[in-house]
Amino acid sequence: MSRNAGSDVKAAYLFIAPAVIGFGVFVGYPLIRSFYLALTKYNGLTDPVFVGLGNFRRLFTTDPAFWPALRATGYLVLLYVPLSLVLGLALAMFCNQRFAGVRVVRTLAYLPVVLPAVATITLWKFMLDPQVGLLNTILDRLGLPTSLWLQSPKMAMPSVVLVMLWGVGGTMIIFLAALQSVPTELYEAAKVDGAGPWSMFFRITMPMISPIMLLQVILQTTAALQTFNQPKILTNGGPGFSTNVLMLSIYNNGFPTLGRIPQLGYASAQVWVLFVIIIAVIALTAKFSSLWTYSDNN
Amino acid sequence: MRIVVKRIMGVTALACAGLLTATACSGGSGSGGSGNGPVTVTVMTWESADTNAAIKKALADFKDDNIKVDLLESPSGQYGDKLASLTQAKKLPDLFWCGNDTEQQYTSQGLLVDWADKIKNGDGDFNADKFVPSAMDNWKTADGQMGGLPSLMNTYGVWYNADAFTAAGLPLPKAGWTWDEMYADAAKLANKNGAKYGLVADQLTSADGPFTMSMYSVSAGGAPFTDNVNHPTKAEADDKYTEGVTKLAAAIKNGSVAPPGYDASNVQSLFAAGKVPMTFGGQWLAAGFQTDKPKIKYGFAPFPQVQTPTTLYDSVGICTPQYTKDQDATFKVLEYINTKVWDAVLPASPVAPPAYTPAQASYFDALTKAQQSTVVDTVKADLAAEKTVGVRFTTQWASQVGDLTTANYQPILSGKKPITDLPAYIDKINGLIKQGS
Repeated sequence: MSRNAGSDVKAAYLFIAPAVIGFGVFVGYPLIRSFYLALTKYNGLTDPVFVGLGNFRRLFTTDPAFWPALRATGYLVLLYVPLSLVLGLALAMFCNQRFAGVRVVRTLAYLPVVLPAVATITLWKFMLDPQVGLLNTILDRLGLPTSLWLQSPKMAMPSVVLVMLWGVGGTMIIFLAALQSVPTELYEAAKVDGAGPWSMFFRITMPMISPIMLLQVILQTTAALQTFNQPKILTNGGPGFSTNVLMLSIYNNGFPTLGRIPQLGYASAQVWVLFVIIIAVIALTAKFSSLWTYSDNN
Repeated sequence: MRIVVKRIMGVTALACAGLLTATACSGGSGSGGSGNGPVTVTVMTWESADTNAAIKKALADFKDDNIKVDLLESPSGQYGDKLASLTQAKKLPDLFWCGNDTEQQYTSQGLLVDWADKIKNGDGDFNADKFVPSAMDNWKTADGQMGGLPSLMNTYGVWYNADAFTAAGLPLPKAGWTWDEMYADAAKLANKNGAKYGLVADQLTSADGPFTMSMYSVSAGGAPFTDNVNHPTKAEADDKYTEGVTKLAAAIKNGSVAPPGYDASNVQSLFAAGKVPMTFGGQWLAAGFQTDKPKIKYGFAPFPQVQTPTTLYDSVGICTPQYTKDQDATFKVLEYINTKVWDAVLPASPVAPPAYTPAQASYFDALTKAQQSTVVDTVKADLAAEKTVGVRFTTQWASQVGDLTTANYQPILSGKKPITDLPAYIDKINGLIKQGS
């Protein structure tokens, strides 16, 4: 190795050092620390006490909130992910057309994504109020049955998902980019062969954007598993445990309401359970992706 | 290249040193000061900006050459989160507003200064005898420590829309009315004039609901939900308690009372707009109604009873971390807040009666001046109530009880589980008590 090459290596290390140090301090250390805390009884006030797998045992055996939290999280994922993909793709296909004002439509569709989330969720909370909310007022005027929305155990989660879908513009933008990268000659050739719109959608569009679809499935599933803002602001987990998703449960254990002692060790155990679930879901999705995604290799 | 690298390293080292220095010098309780200068005592509240401004103005009149008082500017929202992070960082202010449960928990963890002896043997008028006795009792831990002093009393009752009662031909709620009368009134007021429910009683249906239900059983001569919120030995649902739960579940079923899960966060506005005829609430709503005049004629009545007047018991106070730099200076400011500050703050914003009895006059005078006579009467009745029940456990495992309540008690109220499931729920709580002790 020449003298100059040695200097270059040093410089390279120096340049990547901030990223490595940043990762170590802000990701690596918290990760290790949270795993350690998951094995302790720790309230943030006094020193942690090692309890081994005690927190995990309590999670799976005696905690009345844990299984409902898992169920609520699973329900949210099953409801939100397919709807966001279908709606995002439909919106992207609409915005991929050529018509006057398409840029305005694209901007409007993406606008909710850039608006402050807390503000829009709070507005939705007002709209979904059963007594004075806009939705029930409209339904009432139209002579249609009204709903308790966020205050009904059955309707609370669908209402939360409805509010989450308000930000589907983010999904749309990625699908739009994918749609615009599909070679137009494929459609032209299909047209010559007499293919109709549905045939072109299922035989050209879907296979060509399937890698992006895989990415979206993983991104949306991961995001849905970590949903926090909407249930926190809209329902705070209620009624009952109906919208008490895992992230909210973790937050409420780690940062409880005034006067209650934090259970940071226990919350850390929940974090690790969620982490394992996310890794498992991503691994399964990736493993079976070859069955439905298109690539040059298959 | 080498020079450039050296320069980068130099700049980075300087930046790191700067950051470390800034971190070391910043924040914290901020007490102390230089060797010769005055001691700074920091204060943090959960009050609104207006009330904080009034407190700040009042604190400016505190005269002691050796003590400087600094009210920390802090938004009132998310106080619990703020307190938790400051506690974990060991940066709590010298005096901070705290609930009875926080004081009990933090004191038992050895985090707070014990004022018990100081207030017991206090000079002049500032001593334990001048405080509401029940407040002082509840602020003591099992071993007699007091990590803070009660400052304001929270009293509770039923806010009612007098116009709606009159329109429905119902007598106005007043001291001595019964639980049966309340449910009957709620049934008549439901689904009228834009009101869906006749009564919104979050205290009865939330995670703390089982404690509120104690008012029924105790008033009827039965047992409370638990024998002690600070150091419980058992939870109990006797016949009278079960009778109370049965009546509440029936009222929820027939649509008179809002069910568990009802979002009560907006109930004050709905009440003021005439869309909630009756609601359980604290006396502090009076201060809000004084500034934002409701459209309706309203009143505040004591809780209903079966036989004996019974009410909820709750007080808030001011705590001091164990690591405060100068305990004497901090106690002087604490004394000043309890004895002088309320006189300056409560006339403009009568949120609650002080626990220090000589300071209560300004609160009642302000309400009387504002013609809130029903509030004055009810608060006085509550403060004098012979029987009181706690609002929630102050134990470390209180949040686990909350989860059990959500999973068991609330479904009973909603009619999704039978009333016969009540003993199983109580057994689970007793299991936690056993583990906790």
